[in-house]
Amino acid sequence: MKKLVQLNVNGDTHELAVNPDETLLGVLRNHLDLIGPKRGCDSGGCGCCTVHVDGKAVYSCMMYAVSAQDKNVVTIEGLGQNNDQGNGNGRELDPLQQAFIDAGAVQCGYCTCGVIMAAKELLDTVKNPDEDEIRHAIAGNLCRCTGYQKIVDAIKLAAAAV
Amino acid sequence: MTLPDLSDYFVPTQESELIDLLGRFGERAMIVAGGTFVHGLEARGLLSEVEALIDIGRLGLGGISQDAAGVTLGATTTLAELRRADFVQTDPAFGALQDALDYPPVQIRNVGTVGGCLAASAPLYDVPAALFALDGTACVRGAGGARDIPLNEFFVGLFENALRTDEFIAAVTLPKPAARTASAFLKLETNANDLAIINVAVRITLGENGRCADSRVVIGGGVGECYVRAGSAEAALEGGKAGGELFATAAAAVAHDIEPVTDQRGSEAYRRHMAIVYTRRALERALGRMVTGGTNG
Amino acid sequence: MTLSIIGKSVPRPDARDKVTGGKGYPVNVRLPGMLHAKMLRSPYPHARILRIDTRAAEQLPGVKAVLTPADCPQRKYTTVYFVPTDAASMVRDMLVMSDTVRYAGQPVAAVAATSIEIAEQALELIEVEYEELPFVFDPEEAMQPGAPQLHEHAEHNIAVNPVMEFGDLEAGFAAADHVFEGVYETQRVHTCYMEPRVCVVDADGNGNFVVHSSMQHLFGLREKLAYVLGIPESRVRVIKPPYIGGGFGGKLDIGYIEPIAALLSVRANRPVRIEQTRYEDFISTARHPIKVYLKTGITKDGVFTARYAKSILDTGAHATHGAEVINVHGAFGFLLTYRCEHRKWEGYSVYTNNMVGGGYRGYGSPQACFAVESQIDEICDELNLDPIEFRRKNAHQPGDPHPFVQGMHLDTYAFDECLTRGAERIGYAQRTPANTDAGHIKRGVGFACQPLWVSGCLGFPDIYEHSGAIIKLNVDGTADLSTAAMDLGSGQITTLCQIAAEALGLPMEAVRITETADTTTVPFDAPSHASRVTYSAGNAVLAAANVAKERMLKVAGIMLEADAGDLEARDGRITVKGSPDISIAIADVVRRAESPFIQVTEDGPGPTTVEEKGTIIGLSSTAPAGNPSPASVGFVEVTVDTETGEVRVERAVYAHDLGKVINPNGAEGQVEGGFQQAIGYALMENLQFDENSGACLTGDFLDYKMPTAVEMPRSIESIFIESNEPTGPYGAKSLSEPCITVPAPAIANAIFNATGVRIRDLPITPEKILVALGKLPSE
Ligand SMILES: Cc1cc2nc3c(=O)[nH]c(=O)nc-3n(C[C@H](O)[C@H](O)[C@H](O)COP(=O)(O)OP(=O)(O)OC[C@H]3O[C@@H](n4cnc5c(N)ncnc54)[C@H](O)[C@@H]3O)c2cc1C
Ligand code: FES
Ligand code: FES
Repeated sequence: MKKLVQLNVNGDTHELAVNPDETLLGVLRNHLDLIGPKRGCDSGGCGCCTVHVDGKAVYSCMMYAVSAQDKNVVTIEGLGQNNDQGNGNGRELDPLQQAFIDAGAVQCGYCTCGVIMAAKELLDTVKNPDEDEIRHAIAGNLCRCTGYQKIVDAIKLAAAAV
Repeated sequence: MTLPDLSDYFVPTQESELIDLLGRFGERAMIVAGGTFVHGLEARGLLSEVEALIDIGRLGLGGISQDAAGVTLGATTTLAELRRADFVQTDPAFGALQDALDYPPVQIRNVGTVGGCLAASAPLYDVPAALFALDGTACVRGAGGARDIPLNEFFVGLFENALRTDEFIAAVTLPKPAARTASAFLKLETNANDLAIINVAVRITLGENGRCADSRVVIGGGVGECYVRAGSAEAALEGGKAGGELFATAAAAVAHDIEPVTDQRGSEAYRRHMAIVYTRRALERALGRMVTGGTNG
Repeated sequence: MTLSIIGKSVPRPDARDKVTGGKGYPVNVRLPGMLHAKMLRSPYPHARILRIDTRAAEQLPGVKAVLTPADCPQRKYTTVYFVPTDAASMVRDMLVMSDTVRYAGQPVAAVAATSIEIAEQALELIEVEYEELPFVFDPEEAMQPGAPQLHEHAEHNIAVNPVMEFGDLEAGFAAADHVFEGVYETQRVHTCYMEPRVCVVDADGNGNFVVHSSMQHLFGLREKLAYVLGIPESRVRVIKPPYIGGGFGGKLDIGYIEPIAALLSVRANRPVRIEQTRYEDFISTARHPIKVYLKTGITKDGVFTARYAKSILDTGAHATHGAEVINVHGAFGFLLTYRCEHRKWEGYSVYTNNMVGGGYRGYGSPQACFAVESQIDEICDELNLDPIEFRRKNAHQPGDPHPFVQGMHLDTYAFDECLTRGAERIGYAQRTPANTDAGHIKRGVGFACQPLWVSGCLGFPDIYEHSGAIIKLNVDGTADLSTAAMDLGSGQITTLCQIAAEALGLPMEAVRITETADTTTVPFDAPSHASRVTYSAGNAVLAAANVAKERMLKVAGIMLEADAGDLEARDGRITVKGSPDISIAIADVVRRAESPFIQVTEDGPGPTTVEEKGTIIGLSSTAPAGNPSPASVGFVEVTVDTETGEVRVERAVYAHDLGKVINPNGAEGQVEGGFQQAIGYALMENLQFDENSGACLTGDFLDYKMPTAVEMPRSIESIFIESNEPTGPYGAKSLSEPCITVPAPAIANAIFNATGVRIRDLPITPEKILVALGKLPSE
């Protein structure tokens, strides 16, 4: 009944036995202890679970883990760079993560990792997105705290920094 | 929600394998392409009888090709890939597709497939309405061989289509549009991540005299069990001089073709009114594209 | 003294953790041996359970405990955190599980198993035999004789029926030149916190419970759970999560999940986790729909002579918050908002077979504000009065007695300035009459006011209003702050750390909120609600910081050979006032106080501070000195497409007297988020139910619509007016609720200004506008 899958997540390969109907979100959270992707609805409505699969933003709650076999999955935990300066700061943040802090785009933060992953695809593909492009790029993500204004500011800030 | 009867998740690499599986499990098989619709059903507890999930992602069914006859979209082409296609971006004839592909959120565009959105046969979706208005045909294969089903005949009911249980969609073809053709699509939604309250896809082809030589008006959302091809509107357009007056008349005719429902998203009267307004606006949008648009055909 | 941290947009201390994954959410809690539980919910809105057979479920491998009404304590309670359960104002009408079902979705059984999947399968094996009962969904029908009766104690299904009266209403109407009447209705909406309700409860077998939960009040959860289980409060230890994924009032009451998990945990002898699905969350809490009948007497130049309202609140199957929301609605939404001698209000909180309502930002006020502020504009339009002047004329004035809290005055009250500056910024005076624009896109401007609101609950009968804090300084010159105040996302951690840092003279980064608080380690705090945290918890933090500071300055005085009274602390150093050269690092002071009695260094034995040996620590547990009122006015500019009825909010300007801005960026964030919720409330959000079965039709985000980034205005401008409240920490009052209250009537007024169409029931859907424009037949 269980299926064996090989998942490549944030650069690490994991071999896992999963139920065939388990979602990628379930596997990331429950098997791999990656808590960045979050469950807000389980039905493609909120975007809290957004991760990248082969560089593309997807709802991990709507993808069977088995179908991610051999693909590259990146969660918020995989953003940024390892920092070897030994200054205790750990990972160096992705410009988007830093911009979300600087612009005050984080309140409860429950939506944040998903929004950043959606915005990441935008900045990976469009050089200097305008406000409309930014807003449409995160239209698949709900935020109940910020009214999106500071999220949009943060994405602009990161776009300028990249 | 889980699938209590599920016995396995298959990932065939040969079409023959797929056809065997479909034959073996019959009604209890569920093809998974992008899985976005499948998950929606699962979340609502509607898949409790499924025994086999069959992932068609490794059959090489993706890809877009173009030739003199038109374009062929492999069934597992994602909406994002289609949206990036050159003809979608630039050709006014495919404007409806460009418009429709703007609506789904990026997370859905990246995984949702052309075949999946058709086979779902949910008239609430946008992309199928556009494919329908562009005279798309589903190229189907199954135990009995291959056959072509024009989309006109493909949708037969809510969540129901003309596929037999052993068949799958291999590709969708869109014929090469005639010269002076443009299309457009509009969707009525409450927020930017919504299923259509109503949607409208139109295509018009003008004759040399500037009159409407051919047209398609397709309406979706809660206007019937399936997408509705608005024959009365198309008839009203026939031979008329493209422009505001003709479009208003044609749009008004839509009312005869649709049977809108009343539900929590809107009443019958509202849907009817909006179908008319949006048909007119979509026709104007298509005409605007034709005037300003690039090369055609 | 100039402030160095208050008033600065310092970044949130929790932001880095949240952008890298977010370890602190209760949804992440996992305990060894933990089981997963699921609840079986009734498909009927009103029924008696005749029989439940759980034998097959119990036999399913992996099932460890099953719970039915027969297994639950039958002690009636109320869920509301911020009152003692036995408070007179509350209605105790709830059971953890009852054999009477009063709304579709009420839990009737639960299973704990080794996996969620097994628990779900087990639910399918439970057989329940119901006797269906007649049901009623409409509160006014429920009040009719002969309507199905929900609770024995409530005749005509009226849970509570408060009446408040001032002056002589009849005389007031007799004195009026004009009398206006209108009926205004609001719908049921959900707070839509993004983190689901989730809990893990661990019963230790000795009668103690450890509880993790996504909630807004540690001590409320402790008290409620202990009450339900019939055990002393100290047997329940509620762990404070570092933060939760949103609440907005929707997590201000104990859910079914905590008591059920507790009871299952006892039976299974293992920790039990319950995480609700989004559908379950949608039927767990909501803003109550209220229908307001409003009657207003006015002189010809626009002065209130009499104000009367009757409000009918649909509280659903149980009274819970409905018993309190109705009062706040009547008092702060209607009666107290403007000056008027003759006033009367009658409220009815009515039982129906609908889902149970809950707390939600604004707590009854948005429903009233929509009625009151819409009607004022109708009056102004009818009598050709200026809407700004009208409100100005009828407003309370600075120095007036506080209309609610006896013995206090509106000492700081800059409502007038909110009106003036907001109007100026949006260009209100330049607005044009309805339908000025050619074409089908019409532009309009509108505004609405929340003239009076609260900074906490001081003065409210039965409601807790005190806070506590512990501040402990470390030898490296940092401070740890422990409090029970919960951060729901709205920045409470940041604000409280800013207040502590400012008071102690430490840099912001030097103050940390401890992550290891629970109900056994920190003083009581009322919940994070009623816009109270900055004012009330802020005052407690300030008090604790001042205690620590006094001690710190004493030690520093000894070290600097100066009088403690002559010292000041700033940027991590303590300086003799007027002699900047004589100073010492706070770290050195703390180290000295913490050092051994005699510390021998290279230079020999160091001096000691025997008198002040010990940790520099400050503790407080205190009620605030008042309940000062903020004031607020929100303006919007909208466009209305008269062919489609579609409304876009193009721009918003929001002016608010908050006393003092502690963190400008955070304050703006509150306003912007408030507008997201309020625009949803005004234009699209609506929890809808099947009229036959009571099943929720809008149980996911494809059906329950709220604004995405695309529907939001491109610009929301906040104007913060600093009236410097003397009783507030550094002059602060409160912020977070009025910004969700005023937008809906502002939008309704702007739509009227654009099109001449007046909509009196929310949400203002395109369809309603088309009907009002005569483009669609009305039903
Ligand atoms: C949150 C959300 C928002 C959405 N918004 C929009 C929108 O704005 N506009 C819009 O147009 N659509 C929208 N959609 C719908 C989306 O476009 C479809 O869900 C998607 O295209 C379906 O493709 P899929 O590959 O994921 O299908 P799947 O879920 O994999 O399959 C869909 C159905 O088709 C069957 N199937 C799939 N491929 C084949 C095949 N080749 N042959 C035979 N049967 C097959 C499956 O068995 C299943 O029954 C939205 C969906 C979601 C979940
Ligand atoms: S959890 Fe995946 S979209 Fe909401
Ligand atoms: S920050 Fe709370 S949902 Fe976005």
